[in-house]
Amino acid sequence: MNDLLQKFNALPWDAIGQWLVLLPAGVMLLAAAGAVALRNLIHAALCLTLSFIALGIVFIALGAEFVGFVQLLVYVGAVAMLIVFAILLTRPSDLAGAMSPFAGFGPVGGILTGAALLIALLAFIFSSPAAKTPMPSMPVAPVAQIGNLLMLDFVVPLQAVGVLLTAALIGAAVLAMEDKKP
Amino acid sequence: MTLQILLAVSAVLFTFGLVAALTRRNSIMVLVGIELMMGAANLNFIAFWRFSADPQALTGVMFAIFSIAVAAAEAAVGLAIIILVHRRIRSSNVDDAEQLKG
Repeated sequence: MNDLLQKFNALPWDAIGQWLVLLPAGVMLLAAAGAVALRNLIHAALCLTLSFIALGIVFIALGAEFVGFVQLLVYVGAVAMLIVFAILLTRPSDLAGAMSPFAGFGPVGGILTGAALLIALLAFIFSSPAAKTPMPSMPVAPVAQIGNLLMLDFVVPLQAVGVLLTAALIGAAVLAMEDKKP
Repeated sequence: MTLQILLAVSAVLFTFGLVAALTRRNSIMVLVGIELMMGAANLNFIAFWRFSADPQALTGVMFAIFSIAVAAAEAAVGLAIIILVHRRIRSSNVDDAEQLKG
């Protein structure tokens, strides 16, 4: 038993932790590419869900467990479901004619804009000395401390977000209600 | 692993979201692109928190939590508007919603 524990501790945890971040990050990028490019809306929405799940795993592997689980609950549980429902509710008219999934001027302008932005961002990221800092040891982010911060230092933003969410959800319900006008 | 890799992943994710928001014809896919960009921003918050000098302050974590809450509100209102527009013009194509065009 002790022997096994020693072998377990001797595993190269740094390298393993790195792959625990990089593998889900790769899955996330592939799924996001699928969500952007797939013609079938339901397939794109499912790719988006997979991308959200992988992003949550990246958060957890980076040590932000609470944010990772919030990401899984809110995005995978609520936002992805909302998007699938919206696709189902607005679908029939889209099936008329197999036209291009891309907007009027075609994808060229958008892809060029995206490529220009990506090149600029990567140039800045890879030339910045601040981005070369090595990884510090794993910080601890206990949920109790997050709760303390939310209830003490961040209590005003927390209440503001509560008001915002209430207003947004009531507003969404009012917007989507059927008009009963004669 | 350095901060560079995480920032590069985040930049690529943001670009995918931008391309989706700019080029897709269906308004729901435009919203999907916006959600992808939000995810890239959250990844940046967590990456900078992970590599910060004082991670015990939990600033990046707090910012990411609030960002996720705001993104949820935005998705709810956005989809309600899309359903409303679809009911009025019978289409979820962004090119068809042109009543406000001058």
